[in-house]
Amino acid sequence: MTYLFLAYSIIWTLIAGYIVILGKRQKALKKELQLLDEWNTEQ
Amino acid sequence: MKQKSGFIDTAMFYLLIPMVFAALYFVFIWSPVEKFMGAPQKIFYFHVSCAWVAFLAFFTVGYYSVRTLIKPNIKFHIHAGISAEIGVLFTTITLLTGMIWGKSSWNTWWTWEPRLATTLILWFIYVAYLFVRRMEGSWEKIAKLSAVFGIIGVINVPIVFMAIRWWNTKLHPVVFGDGKNQDGGGIEPPMLFTLLFCIFTITLLYAYLMRKGIEIEKMRHAVKKAKNKAINRLAG
Amino acid sequence: MKAIISDAWTIAGKDLGNEWKNKQTIGMMVIFSSLVILVFSFAFDPTNNMVKAVIPGLIWLITIFSGLLGLNRSFLSEQENDSITGLRSAPIDPSSIYLGKVMANCTMVAAVQIISIPVLFLLFDYRFMGEFLWFLLVLAAGTLGFIIVGTFLAALAVNAKNSEMLLPVLLLPLLSPLMIAAVQATRIILENADIQDAMSWIQLMAAYDLLFLAACFFLFEFIMEGS
Repeated sequence: MTYLFLAYSIIWTLIAGYIVILGKRQKALKKELQLLDEWNTEQ
Repeated sequence: MKQKSGFIDTAMFYLLIPMVFAALYFVFIWSPVEKFMGAPQKIFYFHVSCAWVAFLAFFTVGYYSVRTLIKPNIKFHIHAGISAEIGVLFTTITLLTGMIWGKSSWNTWWTWEPRLATTLILWFIYVAYLFVRRMEGSWEKIAKLSAVFGIIGVINVPIVFMAIRWWNTKLHPVVFGDGKNQDGGGIEPPMLFTLLFCIFTITLLYAYLMRKGIEIEKMRHAVKKAKNKAINRLAG
Repeated sequence: MKAIISDAWTIAGKDLGNEWKNKQTIGMMVIFSSLVILVFSFAFDPTNNMVKAVIPGLIWLITIFSGLLGLNRSFLSEQENDSITGLRSAPIDPSSIYLGKVMANCTMVAAVQIISIPVLFLLFDYRFMGEFLWFLLVLAAGTLGFIIVGTFLAALAVNAKNSEMLLPVLLLPLLSPLMIAAVQATRIILENADIQDAMSWIQLMAAYDLLFLAACFFLFEFIMEGS
């Protein structure tokens, strides 16, 4: 039973971790893109 | 166009949440407990689904690699890369759950069972592929080089499987029957249904992650373009 | 086809001629493989009888480790004075560059094996009892497969800054089926067991060699375009 629990917690932590990484990437890029866009239109 | 793809993403997301919970319900509550292996047998559903997606992702890499070589296109290059990344994720899950499975039913963390060992080598090839993509240089160059490596890697996978299978049967008799997921005859209908449902859910999850990843990669290219524009402005 | 092979000969001749002049790579390879044997004899006591069981694996380990050194050099040396651009712009088929490099690397690794395998047997006090011709055949098939894939990936890896590190990471997973087959076949032959047992392994190696030779031969063009 502990093995079962262990296996499923590993599965979902890994998938959740990947989604968090993706979200972080997207956030960072969005910020950068916004900054650049602002900068490009400003001048 | 943009609206439509956004809609598909949202729809997939809201479809995925209930499906994941339904899959978990089917696995833990609805499907019967296997007589010989007991509760740990329930690892099997997600283990097999993740393994299936891992191999699917790998063949997607191969498919887009071939297309990149035929006609270089940044879209194919991005698709192959994201698929490889998700492939690493699911291969890792398959390996870890496979090990836990082995510990619970054969009391050993690792056996050189052909499928498990092939998955391990698949993992190494995936990681090597991602290393190739991390090279410096223009995307055209990286696209060509990584596509070539992807194709060679895909050719290699069936050979690895065969070699390990022979190696195992020649060294010592097969102890664990024909492996764990070829029990097609003895599987009960509820179990089969649960398995198929899990496979479908995870495949959908893969498709969703693919879409998200592709979107992010496209954004990265947009950032690069904007940066170049900014630099050109500074220079001009 | 004839032109490709004659061009390949020219390139292999050039590489081997260079090597003959300074003998640096091959010298390093021989010394390195002897050092690997030395380290292994510290790791596993050679007087222990159990060690006989690891001899087939050791033969392939020293081949791969020393071969990796040579493979790294084979394309890095072309990059030094940007000679790779010269090769690429020469009026030859890119595949002939590949074939030429395979021939040159194969000769070098074979030369290293001629020295290092007897040294291995000597230092581990191993008496060779198998059939010599079969042993040579297995050795040739395994080494050829190693060089076919290795040369291809060396050409791929040379585009990266850290190509010395990248090459083993790319190469070793792809070599795993060949290594399983080669080690098993060598073991069977060294134990003087029935050759028939080794037959399926030799066939696997032959299939691997042919398949990857064909794939690498056709895909090499893209690597040359890409770099």
